[in-house]
Amino acid sequence: MPGQKLYPRATVRKIVKAHSNCNVSKNADVMMFLDYMLFMQTLMKEAAIEAKQGGERGITARSVRKVTADSLARFRG
Amino acid sequence: MASEGQQPDATPASRRASSAEPLASINRRPILRTPGSHARGLPPRPQGLSASGRKAAPPTATPHARAAFRAIDSRRAAIFTPHRARRKSLREVRDSPRDFLLSLGRVLARTTQVITTSSSSSSSPGDGGGKDRRESDGAGNETTLGGISVVDDEDDDEELPKRPRLSLPIDEEDDDDDSDDLQPHRSVLIDDENFTMQSIEMPRRAISEQPGGRLSLGSTRMSDYFNVNDMLHSEDVGIDSGFFPPTAVLDEGNLTVGPEELPSPERLDSEADRRDFGRESDLGIEVPVGDVNDSTFVIAPQVQESPDRPLFADGEPGLDNYAPLVDQRSDDYDDEELLGEVPPLEEEQMEDPSLRPRDETEIESVAVQRAEVRDGSKKKSIKVSKYGIEYPSLPPAVVKRLAQNFAKANGAKGQITPDAMKAIMQASDWFFEQLGEDLQAYAKHAGRKTIDESDVLTLMRRQRQINPNITPFALAQRHLPRELLQELRMTPPAVPKKRSRAKGAADDEDVT
Repeated sequence: MPGQKLYPRATVRKIVKAHSNCNVSKNADVMMFLDYMLFMQTLMKEAAIEAKQGGERGITARSVRKVTADSLARFRG
Repeated sequence: MASEGQQPDATPASRRASSAEPLASINRRPILRTPGSHARGLPPRPQGLSASGRKAAPPTATPHARAAFRAIDSRRAAIFTPHRARRKSLREVRDSPRDFLLSLGRVLARTTQVITTSSSSSSSPGDGGGKDRRESDGAGNETTLGGISVVDDEDDDEELPKRPRLSLPIDEEDDDDDSDDLQPHRSVLIDDENFTMQSIEMPRRAISEQPGGRLSLGSTRMSDYFNVNDMLHSEDVGIDSGFFPPTAVLDEGNLTVGPEELPSPERLDSEADRRDFGRESDLGIEVPVGDVNDSTFVIAPQVQESPDRPLFADGEPGLDNYAPLVDQRSDDYDDEELLGEVPPLEEEQMEDPSLRPRDETEIESVAVQRAEVRDGSKKKSIKVSKYGIEYPSLPPAVVKRLAQNFAKANGAKGQITPDAMKAIMQASDWFFEQLGEDLQAYAKHAGRKTIDESDVLTLMRRQRQINPNITPFALAQRHLPRELLQELRMTPPAVPKKRSRAKGAADDEDVT
């Protein structure tokens, strides 16, 4: 899907703006989404490890939930 | 052990300069003994009989039986044999692995050189003793040396008189002579094949070096390790970099795509796609309408509060508290799509205030203002941040695509169950809330009301996603498609300056 957008920029801006009560400068959301991608990468990696250790076949909700707190803590600024 | 035969060798060797010391020590081996060489001087004993004259344990006995025999024999020997003979009587019993090692050492001691140790006793015939003699006696050292060495050799052959000892000796064999009462019987202590081998080979560590010992270091190591993993992993991702189009194509090929995977996020707003969406959530969630009546469901059907973050101190229990929230999300999908088919909405609202305060006591209580009523025409799930601003959540298609890509990059299957998808959505909601708070803190600190790119860069640096080795542009190049990269590069004048000021001279290529 070549023409597909990676993510809705306006949505990301809205989300961050709502949470921070700040304005978001013009291209800052790109970096934010990049950060989000890194977070997702960490989360899925940890979840995959967790699932493998737990003997599950794929990534399940349990494994994701288990590693969510840790991944979030690592992305604490 | 021919002492007389070696004596002519010993005297000229001692006359040499001290630089030829190793050779001299080889030649005068009867004097310079390695530990255990005492025993060779003793006359051989009959091996089969113990001190009590009983035959040793039969070879067919079990290891435990042999050990028991040995224990009995040694005890008897300890009782009945007098002081000096005790050691000799114990010698027969030795066939434990340690004694094998000792005898091996005796054999090898002929060809090895004696290592001069700092703790060698002055009385023990070591190199230090030889040096002392040489230094003390000026001219007539040959004769004295010869005499002394003769005496030592005789000691070996005969009955081992006690030498005056001034420091702790290395050789353990002498200990048998001196501290006879407290010496444990070796054959009992170091017992038999398997167990003994293990106990000998057991690693011994100082307490400070034991694995649990240094917690702080361990934790730092963990963080380092994670960082390394991140780097490694991001390289993995780099393999299929620029990866969204190709993997998306793969998705189509694999047919692992959920129905909502295919449409682009813009088209998600259209009615047909949302229809798809509703079907998917129906399939996966398995939350029948009847179950909603159960009290296990905590539901805010109209407006979701800002997603609460788990307390990290609590760990698991904190997460457990959120399980209802995830379910709530699932129900939200139902609400959106099948609004007409969910009759017990009112009941849920009734349940809500009774159940929610318990959650909020444990969770950081965000001052949440709920929007009063969501208008039915709005189909997107609207949540309200703690500032009272409504915000949408990321389109699940985007999140799912990301999750699938990263899951595949991690070797897992691209399949992500709907439950896992919900958990991921919850995690990303929490992430964005955390991100917003952090960025707000940075912007406020800089005295701005606008979140700048520099704030995001600062955040990523603090998250250790950016370091002198990983530049933000490298990350962006790896993860972002080209059009977004161009957006990033549109701002070269402002951003790189800030970045270079903050990060120092480490990333030059970034500034250019």
